Amino acid sequence: MSAFARLRYRFVRDALLPAALAFKGGRRKSRPPDPLFGPPLKSTADLRRIMARHYALARHAKGAMPVAWVTSGAPVELLRAFGFYTVYPENHSALCGARKLGPEISAEAEARGYSQDLCSYARVDLGHAFSGRTPVGSLPAPDLLFCTNNICQTVLYWFKALSREHGIPLILLDTPYLHGGRDETPAFAYVEGQLRGAVTDLERFARKDFDEKRFLQVLESSRRASQLWGGVLETLRRRPAPMTIFDAFVHLMPIVSLRGLPVCERYYEGLLAELRDRVERGVAAVPGERHRLLWDNIAIWFALGPLARLFAEHGAVPVVATYTHAWAETAHQMDLQDPFGALARTYGGIFLNRDLAHRRAFLETLAREYAVDGAVLHSARSCKPYSIGQYDLKQSLMDVPGIPSVVLEADMTDHRVWSEAQARTRLEAFFEALEGQTIRNSSGPVNA
Amino acid sequence: MSTPSRRVYALEQKSRGRKVAAVFPARYPAELLWAREVCPVEVWDPPAGGQAAQAHLQANVCSVVQRGLSLWLSGGTEVADFLLFSHTCDSLQNLSTLVPHLLGEKRPCLFFYPPKGRRDDLAERYLVDHLAGLSERLDEAAGRAGEGALERAVAWGEARGRALNDLYDARAAGGLAASNEDFYASVRACEYLWPEEAVQRLEAFRRERSGPSPPGVPLVFSGVLPQPAGLLARLDGLGVRIVEDDFLACGRRFVRGALPPAGEVLSTVARRLLALPPCSTAGSPVSDRLDFLARLAGRSSARGVVFLSLKFCEPELFDVPALAEGLRSRGVPCLVLEVEMGGEVPAQTLTRIEAFLETLP
Repeated sequence: MSAFARLRYRFVRDALLPAALAFKGGRRKSRPPDPLFGPPLKSTADLRRIMARHYALARHAKGAMPVAWVTSGAPVELLRAFGFYTVYPENHSALCGARKLGPEISAEAEARGYSQDLCSYARVDLGHAFSGRTPVGSLPAPDLLFCTNNICQTVLYWFKALSREHGIPLILLDTPYLHGGRDETPAFAYVEGQLRGAVTDLERFARKDFDEKRFLQVLESSRRASQLWGGVLETLRRRPAPMTIFDAFVHLMPIVSLRGLPVCERYYEGLLAELRDRVERGVAAVPGERHRLLWDNIAIWFALGPLARLFAEHGAVPVVATYTHAWAETAHQMDLQDPFGALARTYGGIFLNRDLAHRRAFLETLAREYAVDGAVLHSARSCKPYSIGQYDLKQSLMDVPGIPSVVLEADMTDHRVWSEAQARTRLEAFFEALEGQTIRNSSGPVNA
Repeated sequence: MSTPSRRVYALEQKSRGRKVAAVFPARYPAELLWAREVCPVEVWDPPAGGQAAQAHLQANVCSVVQRGLSLWLSGGTEVADFLLFSHTCDSLQNLSTLVPHLLGEKRPCLFFYPPKGRRDDLAERYLVDHLAGLSERLDEAAGRAGEGALERAVAWGEARGRALNDLYDARAAGGLAASNEDFYASVRACEYLWPEEAVQRLEAFRRERSGPSPPGVPLVFSGVLPQPAGLLARLDGLGVRIVEDDFLACGRRFVRGALPPAGEVLSTVARRLLALPPCSTAGSPVSDRLDFLARLAGRSSARGVVFLSLKFCEPELFDVPALAEGLRSRGVPCLVLEVEMGGEVPAQTLTRIEAFLETLP
C-alpha cells in the first residue's frame, strides 16, 4: 500500500467526490409522475449517490488499502475490521444485468470456454475479469478473494476461477448445508473454527493485528443495518404497501455491499423514516392495490421496469420476497457476547443453506405475515439451488395454504433466455385467476 | 466374468439378510454402511432416461439428477431400505431435500456433507463429528454395527482401493489386455458389489487380463463418468486406449498411492475421504487437479486428454476451461467434448475424436 495512493483516495473521498456527486445530483431531472405508481421514493436519490460513490471510490482504492472481492453471503465484518475495500461481483453482475449488458459481457467468458449453461452472474463477472468491460468505468483488481458457499456451490467454482485468473489467494468459508433439522452443532463449530482461522490468514495478508474492538463495532453496525433493513421490509406488511418488492430489490444494494459501514445504517434510517411516514399518510406504491404477492428468487434485473409496470397495471403488488429477507432473517443471531459463534450461526444458517422443508415453512410464514394473495416463483435458469424444487414448492403452496402460484422461467441477467411475450401471457393469466378469486372471496359469506 | 444388474444384485443381497441403500453420487463413507451389513447401490446413470422427472426439475438440470429422480419416481429404488445423498453439487443438494421434503419419501433419507475446499485438521475434525452424526442416523435406519464391524469395513475399503490401484497401475503401464468397455464394466461394478466380492472380481480381472494392452492411441479421459453408454465400444473401434482417467465415478474415488496414516476408526475414514484425488465437486484448487491430470498423463504415457463435459454439470464446466488451457500450456493436447447420457454416440462426437486423433503428435 502506498502513501500516495492513500492520500489520493482521501482527496477523492473527502473533496472531489462530494463535489462531483452534488453537481451530478443537481443536474438530474425528475421524471414526470406516472399514474400507475405512487410518488417516487425520495431516498432513491440518496441510494444513487451512495452507490455511485461506492463504485467511484473503488477505482481509487487500489493501492490505498487492500481490495477484496466478496460473495454476497460472506461475513464481510471480518474484512471491514482489517480495513479492506470490498467489491461484490454479484452486485456488479446484477448492475450489468439491469443495464442489459449481461450477454455482451458474459460473451467474453463464453469465448474462453465457459459454457452458456453456467451461472450468468459468474459469466458476467468472469467476462469482466477477462476484458475489463463494465458500465461503472472500472473495478479495482482484487488483492484477495473471500467466498462463502452458504448461497450456492457456484460461488466456490467461480471464485476459484477468479483466483486463478488474478493469481491471488482465496479465503473460503465452507458452510455445510443444513439438512433435516438435526444437530447443527458440528456444522457451526466447523464454520466458527474457519472464521477464527480466517483472522490469522487476514492478519498475515493485511500485515496488521486483529482489532477486536473495531470488529465488534463493525458487527454492531452490521446488526443494526440488518435490523433496519428488516424494519424497511416490515413496512410492506401494511396495506397499501408503501413500496413494492421491485423497489426493495434496488434498495437492497447497500445491505449487500456496504453492510458494517456507517453509511449503510444512515441510509436505512432515512429509508425507514420515509416509509413509515408513507404508511402514516396512506401513500401507496401502487394506487388501487388489489393483489398482494410473494416473490421467490432473485430479481430479473433486466426486466424489473417492465415487470413493475405489468404488475401495477393489474393492481398486483409484490410485497415480500425470500431474496430480500435473506439479509434480515438472521440478524437477531448477531450476539456480540459471542461474536465468532454468532457469525457462524448467522451466515451458516441462512435459508438458502437449509433444506426445502425450511424453505416451504419460510414461504408460508412470509405469505401469512404479509397477507399475500398469490406467489410468483422466478425459476432462474442460472441459479440451481434457488430454483430446483420450485415446481413442487409451487404445488405445495397451492395445496395447503391455498395460495395461487405461478412459475416464471427467466434469469437474473441473461436476457437471451427471456421471452417477454411469454412471460406477459403467463402473468396476465395468473392475474386474471387472482381477479376471479378476489371477486369470489368478496362476494362470499363473511365469517365472524 | 459377467456381473448381474444392480436390481438383481440388490435383491440377492437382501435375500442374504443384508439391507440395501440407494446412494446418490458421489463421494461417501461406504465403510459406515458395510459395517451395518448394508449394501450401497449407487445411482449414477440408470438406463430408463429422465423423462419422469420433467414435472419436477427444470430442463437445465444435468442427466445424473434427472435420471436419478426418474428412477425414484418410477419405483426403481423400492428395493432400497433407505436413501443416502452425498452433497456433490447444488443440484444433488436440492434433490436430497426434494425427495423427502416435497415428494413424500417416507424411508429414511440420509445426508452426507463432505468438506469443500479444505483438507486440514479443521476439516478432519468436522468430518469426524459429521460421520459420528451420520452413524447415529444409520443406527436408526439399519441397526447398530457389531463389535469390530467398522474396523473390518475399513479394511475392506482399503483392500478395494488397493485392487483398484493395482488395476489402474497395470493399465497405465500397458500391461492389461482389456478393452475400454471391459475395463469400465469391471471398475463400475464397484458401484454396487459387496466390497469383498468387488475385490475378488477386480483381482480376478487383473490376473485373467494380464498381458500387453491392446494397440491404440493412449489417452487420459476426464469427466463425470464414461457416457454416453455406447462411447467405450466406439472408442475401442476407433483405436483409442484409455490409459488413465479422473472420472468422478471412477478414478477420482479411490486414494491413489499410499493411504494417510490410520487413527481412531472414524478418523481413518475421514482421512481417506480427505485424501481422495482433487475434484471439482470438493472445491479443490484448479492447480491441484491440473497437476493430478498431468501426472496421470505422464505416468501412462498418454498422448492427450479428453474431457467428457456432461451437459449442465456446473462443477465440471467451471474447471474445464482452466484445465484444458493449463494442460495445453504444458504441451498436453486436449479435446473438450460436451456429452449427454444416452445410448448412441452422436456422429459429431465421433468425428471430433477422430479429428483430435489425427492432430496428435
